[in-house]
Amino acid sequence: MPEAIVTATGLGVQFGAHRAVDGVSLKTAAGTMTAVIGPNGAGKTTLLRTLAGLIPTATGGLDVGGIDPRRASAPTSAKVLAYAPQLPASAWDFNLEELGAISGQPETYGNWLVRLGLNLPGELRLSELSGGERKCAHLALTFAGLTDPFGRALLLDEPTASLDRAKQAALHQVMHDFTRAGAAVLVATHDLAFARTCGEILVLAEGRLVAAGRPDTTLTDDVVASVWG
Amino acid sequence: MTKGRAAGLAGGLLAGLVVLALSVGPQGFGWGDGGALAWLRAPRVLAALAAGLALGAGGAAQQGVFRNPLADPGLTGVFGGALFGLALLLGAAPEIAWQNAWVLPLAAFAGALACSALLVLLGSGGSSARLLLTGLGLNAFTAAGTLVIAARSGESRELLTNGAYGDWLGMATLELTWLPALLAVTAALALLPLAHALDLLSFGEDAARCHGAEPAQTRRRAVLLTALAAGAATCLVGQIAFIGLLAPHLARALAGPRHALVLPLAGLLGAALLVGADTLGRGLWPDAPLSAAAVTAVLGAPMFIWIARKRDA
Repeated sequence: MPEAIVTATGLGVQFGAHRAVDGVSLKTAAGTMTAVIGPNGAGKTTLLRTLAGLIPTATGGLDVGGIDPRRASAPTSAKVLAYAPQLPASAWDFNLEELGAISGQPETYGNWLVRLGLNLPGELRLSELSGGERKCAHLALTFAGLTDPFGRALLLDEPTASLDRAKQAALHQVMHDFTRAGAAVLVATHDLAFARTCGEILVLAEGRLVAAGRPDTTLTDDVVASVWG
Repeated sequence: MTKGRAAGLAGGLLAGLVVLALSVGPQGFGWGDGGALAWLRAPRVLAALAAGLALGAGGAAQQGVFRNPLADPGLTGVFGGALFGLALLLGAAPEIAWQNAWVLPLAAFAGALACSALLVLLGSGGSSARLLLTGLGLNAFTAAGTLVIAARSGESRELLTNGAYGDWLGMATLELTWLPALLAVTAALALLPLAHALDLLSFGEDAARCHGAEPAQTRRRAVLLTALAAGAATCLVGQIAFIGLLAPHLARALAGPRHALVLPLAGLLGAALLVGADTLGRGLWPDAPLSAAAVTAVLGAPMFIWIARKRDA
C-alpha cells in the first residue's frame, strides 16, 4: 500500500445552521487520482477547501503530507498541497506575461500554457480571454508552483468545466501525469465518464460520504439512483 | 509603454515639477539670490512631495488589499479619520498638541487607524458597494465631526477649517514638515515589500494562501502602513481626495497592474500630481493661491467619473 498523502477523520464544517460537510473520513495515497462527485450543493467544494486548510473552523482530524494545513503557515501548506478553485478570478487585469512573473517561474508558466492549449501572445490580458482560456491561465499558475508533484496533494475543483474538448483532453492527460508522478490528485467533477477513469471515487450527498472506493464498486446503479434520483 | 520608460517618465516629470515648484511664488519667478527664494519654498515643496508619495502608494495599497479599484483613503474615510484625530486632539488638549513634534502625527495616525479598522470590520468581505458606502459613511461622519470641533474651538478654528479644505501646504515650515514627511516617505517605502503578496491577493484569499501568501498578515500590514501614510500626509496637506485614486490608475495604465510597479509608480505620480497641483494653484493666482486640494478636485473629479464609467462598461 503506497503512502497516504491525505488522511481525514470525521471532518465537519458548519455554515450557520447548514452542515456543509458532515463526518467525512477519507484516505488517499500517492499516485492515486480520486474523483469527488455528487449533486450541486453536496459539499464537494467545501470538502476540497477543507482539505486545503482554507476553513480553519473545520472540525475533525486532518493530515496532508505530514501537516495539518488548517494550522500550518501558508508557505508550509503551499509545499504540500496545491488547490485550484472552481471559479478563479482576478481583481486586476493581468496579462499572461505578468501572470508568469507572479508565478515566479515565467518559463514554466509559459510551458504550462502551451500544454493546456493556450498558444497566445504574452500581452493578452485576462479580460481579453474567453472563459475557458481564463480558467487555463489560472490553472497554469497553480501548476507552475508545483515543481515536484511527488507526494503532494493536488485539489482541483471542477477543472474541466467550461473547457472545450481539446483542453479537457489535455487537462485529463495532465492530471494522469501528475498522478503517475506520485501526487494524490482529488478532482471535484460532474463528469461521471471521467470519474470512471479515476482510481477512486468519493460520492458525496448532503455533506456526507455515501460511497467510496473503486469506480466499478462505487458508481453502481443503486448509488446513482439514490444520489441523483 | 515599457516599464523602464514609464518609471523614467514619472521620475522625469516629478523632477521637472519640483524645479518648477521651487521657482514659482508670490515673490516672482526664479530661485532668488543664491537660491534664497528656492530655500524659502523648499519646505512646502518637500511637504507636497512626501504627502503625494504617501497618497499615491497608500491608495495603490488600499485598492490592492480591498481588491477594489475605487478604494481611495480619501473616499473611504481614512484621511477623514486622520483629520478627525487631529481635531480631537486640538479641540480637547491644544496645549499638548504643540509640545512635541510627534504628538500631531500620532493623533492623525490613530484617527486613520481607527477608521481603517472600522472599514475592515464593517465594510470588507462583501460587495464593492458595501465597502464604498461604509467608507463614505465614515468620511461624512469624520468630516462633520471635524467641523463641529472646529466650530467650538476658538484658537484652532481656522487651522482645522483650512485642514478640512486641504489648505495646509501654505504653512509648511521645515520645523513642522520634517517629521510627517519622514513618516510619509517611510510608510510609502515600507509598502513596497508587500507587492508580491498583493499580486497574489488579487486572486482571492483562498488562492493567495495556496500560493504561499498569508492574506490576513498582508492585509494587516497594508492597512497599518496606509493609515501611517494617511496620517502623515494629512499632517502635511490636510484633507485631500482623488490623488490616492488617480495615481494608481495612471500607474496601471502606464505599466500594467503588477504591484511591484504600481506601488512605486503610483507614489511618484502622486507626488507629481500634488506638487503640480500646488504649483498650479500658486502660479495662476500668486496673491490668493488656490489650495492643492481644490486643484486636484477640479482635475480629479471628472477623472473619477470617467474611471467609474469605464469600470462598468
